Amino acid sequence: MRKGSRVSSNIIMTLVIVWLLIPLLATIIYSLFEDWTGIIPHGFTLANYQKIFTDTAFLTSMYQTLIVCVIPIVITILVVLLGLFVVTVYFPRLEKYMQILCMIPYTIQGVILSVSILILYAKGSTILSGRMTMLIGAYCIIILPHIYNGIRNGMRAVNMNMLLEAAEMLGESKLKAFFKVIVPNILTGITVSSLLAVGLLFGDYVIIRNLSSSNVNNMQKFLYQAMKRSSAEASAVFVVIMLITFAITAIVLTLQSRSTLEKIRNEGK
Amino acid sequence: MAYIRFEKINKFFGSNHVLKDIDLDVEKGQLVTLLGPSGCGKSTLLRCLAGLEQVTDGHIYLDGQEITDVVPRRRGIGMVFQQYSLFPNMSVRDNVAYGLKLKKLPKAEISQKVEQMLEIVGLSEKISQYPAQLSGGQQQRVALARAMVTAPKVLLLDEPLSAIDALLRKNLQIEIRRIQQQLGITTIFVTHDQDEAMVMSDMIHLFHDGRIEQSGTPEEIYTRPATKFAATFIGNYNLPSAADFNRVFHADIPGQDVAVRPEIITLSREAPKAEEGLLVAEGRIPSHISHGNLIRFAVEFDGGLTMNADVVYENKLDFGEGDRVFASLKKDLVIGL
Ligand SMILES: Nc1ncnc2c1ncn2[C@@H]1O[C@H](COP(=O)(O)OP(=O)(O)OP(=O)(O)O)[C@@H](O)[C@H]1O
Ligand SMILES: [Mg+2]
Repeated sequence: MRKGSRVSSNIIMTLVIVWLLIPLLATIIYSLFEDWTGIIPHGFTLANYQKIFTDTAFLTSMYQTLIVCVIPIVITILVVLLGLFVVTVYFPRLEKYMQILCMIPYTIQGVILSVSILILYAKGSTILSGRMTMLIGAYCIIILPHIYNGIRNGMRAVNMNMLLEAAEMLGESKLKAFFKVIVPNILTGITVSSLLAVGLLFGDYVIIRNLSSSNVNNMQKFLYQAMKRSSAEASAVFVVIMLITFAITAIVLTLQSRSTLEKIRNEGK
Repeated sequence: MAYIRFEKINKFFGSNHVLKDIDLDVEKGQLVTLLGPSGCGKSTLLRCLAGLEQVTDGHIYLDGQEITDVVPRRRGIGMVFQQYSLFPNMSVRDNVAYGLKLKKLPKAEISQKVEQMLEIVGLSEKISQYPAQLSGGQQQRVALARAMVTAPKVLLLDEPLSAIDALLRKNLQIEIRRIQQQLGITTIFVTHDQDEAMVMSDMIHLFHDGRIEQSGTPEEIYTRPATKFAATFIGNYNLPSAADFNRVFHADIPGQDVAVRPEIITLSREAPKAEEGLLVAEGRIPSHISHGNLIRFAVEFDGGLTMNADVVYENKLDFGEGDRVFASLKKDLVIGL
């Protein structure tokens, strides 16, 4: 009876996985062959990949994706770290308000966010109405809750005030002590949450389409344009995006399991 | 002027008056203990000296200089906290070296001092381990090494042994005292354990509800408690009312209450020979408690007065329950409060 249900659940799992993987596989095959009109594709070729990787527009879009991902993440990490430092050390009573503030973006959708930002800032001529500024600002907002949670959870694991006081008694200033004895302990948490944020920003199409000018393209935007030109080329772009996403996920999972292992080892002692 | 001087220290947390007009002097090279029950303000006073807490009112002097408003890192004070406070991301070596690196000493000198200090606290072989790999007692010894290696003017120890089991704790008490005397570091030690205070201190300051109730050497505090609170907190004093005591023992001790240590009462089956200054009364033994090395007999006198008397345990119980005994004690050891 139990064995039977194991078998049937395995079958269901397999079916689901196949169901999910078929489009992926199809896309990969499609991008690797010249012709797939019959049942068996033929004419293996890397031409599509060659084409996109020699296309400066694609390379630029990769580069720009990187830029518009990394800058907001770095900014948000710094802001959250300093914010949490000040709140924990000097204004512990404000902590819950900080938490609420940082959680609000969870409830905001990309379309609403980008449109509101446009309405609010686009007409002015300050630095805030620059396209790049608006985009990076919007991305900072989108990833804020994730970065906040990652850092906050890491900080909970160490007795921050105590460690800071200990460092202070040894002659260190509080802020330096924060970066020397607190941040290293939450580095895994920071890395994981920033990779998650990369994943999030990497998949964005809505906000960048609304906010960026035509000369800022991320890979999603490039994909969209490629689809209009050639479906084989678009498949290749899609596969590249997929691989990058897989890589990020793999790194996150490894880091998470490693930090869990560390925790278990430490507690076991 | 004393090496450390607290002058009229007052500290409020909101409306909570935690330190009340504290005046306290500490001489150079001494180990003094702040002893008192939980919540009486010991840690707060220590943290004020460290600079981790601002006094509401009053002045603190160290080595002839006023330090009341100096930031903690410029006070030259080392501290070991009640909870484990080693930096988890650093090895034992880096933890101990932390303060020396900030002083920008040469590498070779740092390394030599770290090794020397770890030798003193007996943890040389743990030098490359991480805090999570150490036991609680080992962690506190590393914390001690970390605080002492910079040769601070003053070392503050806030119940550093409270999370450590009894046997190791006794060893560490002796260790700390030995290291402190060897290096001559002026040390303030906080504890709520009277035995610990007795073992370690040159001077004990007994705290009660934000005030210093009594100051003195361990012997003075133990043998001459000045108030009822001191007598309750220290030793195992019997504290009958003066009226009851005087009636039973035909004495004339002045004051409200009388403090009598159980070990000064002698029990005997025969009435002891009358003597100048010897108080005697007859009673009955309702029960006893064994403390291992001594037996604490309860003795009930006429009119319901009950006092404890300690008898060193050799190899048999001297008295049984229900026995009638004579209790005698020297009058000049009885303290009127
Ligand atoms: N940061 C703080 N904010 C508000 N009240 C505080 C703070 N620190 C201490 N108190 C209060 O001050 C009083 C004294 O606390 P303190 O920590 O000095 O006691 P203690 O004598 O060290 O006790 P224990 O033996 O339990 O450590 C307590 O009533 C406590 O509630
Ligand atoms: Mg305390």
